[in-house]
Amino acid sequence: MNPKREIRVQTIVVSLLVSIMTILLLGILLSFQPLSGSLGSELLAINQTTTQSANAVTSVVTYFRGLDTLGEVTILFLSIFGIGLGIERLQEKENIFSYDNALLKIGADILFPLIILFGFYIIIHGHLSPGGGFQGGVVIASAFLLMFLAKNNELKLNHKITTLVEALSGAGFVLVGILGLLLVDRFLGNFLPLGTLGKLWSGGVIPLIYIFVGLKVSAEISTLVEYFIRIKDAR
Amino acid sequence: MLDSFNQTPFLHGVITIGAFLLLAIGLIGAMSKKNLFKIFLSLSIAEASLFLYFIGMHFEVGKDAPIVTEKVTEFGVNMVDPVPQAMILTTIVIAIAVLALSLSFVVNYFKLTGNLDIDKMNELGEES
Repeated sequence: MNPKREIRVQTIVVSLLVSIMTILLLGILLSFQPLSGSLGSELLAINQTTTQSANAVTSVVTYFRGLDTLGEVTILFLSIFGIGLGIERLQEKENIFSYDNALLKIGADILFPLIILFGFYIIIHGHLSPGGGFQGGVVIASAFLLMFLAKNNELKLNHKITTLVEALSGAGFVLVGILGLLLVDRFLGNFLPLGTLGKLWSGGVIPLIYIFVGLKVSAEISTLVEYFIRIKDAR
Repeated sequence: MLDSFNQTPFLHGVITIGAFLLLAIGLIGAMSKKNLFKIFLSLSIAEASLFLYFIGMHFEVGKDAPIVTEKVTEFGVNMVDPVPQAMILTTIVIAIAVLALSLSFVVNYFKLTGNLDIDKMNELGEES
């Protein structure tokens, strides 16, 4: 048996196995039916009386499963921390994306405050409309990305401020949870007045938690963007 | 004619096949490419198929997003399930964190060795 023939047999066997697995997986996926009348409808039924938040997804993320969100924010923090361990002496690095473009430079100055404002709007209205802390935080980070592209090496984030914002907002999230534990029955419980559905001041602790999450995510993703854009060693 | 396309089982089938194709694209990219950077981006594409499948399978024709607006004035049976959307929000953030950490490892590896080809990696010893 020559080696050429051996490879051919192996290829045929592997492709047969892959096609059998594909057919099986497609069969399983196509016959899947989501359950109706499960956890989601229960949560929708009690949402108005417990949270008064117009966006049910937000109340699931920050109230019914708030501990999950705390773990998620912790994972994001640990990831940024690991990246910061690997890349040292960030202030001496050079920006590798240097565009010398007049339109970009002038447009960035005009757009920067507007994008920041829009990000805060999305964060604050997280319990009324689609959006929330994570989405608004990423929008704020995109404003910093625009500034990094426009101002080549002149703009540097003040890492004392970003670390302070990140630490304070993380501590604020935990503090809200502990206050809920002390004042009412459980961790991340609601200790504020609920308000009326659809108004800005409604939802109890939900807007407070989402503001903390938004500040934390915006500081973290801005730091992340700076790590990846300022990567070249200065000579 | 067009009404027969706007049925829940048909849309679920389209979403399933689309998500499966996206998964196949991601896995084929992760297995066939030699560049470390492209492998991680292919895994990220494969993750996107999971988001699409999970959100899409809980969509039903005639139901709205679980948000109270002028049109939908109260929470009830006429809304889709909010729990999968909240879970996928968590998953997207974790996927971003994992992708960023792995790409920073790729950058550091390239700075140390000047190599991104997985066939030429021999830091743990030559293949015997």
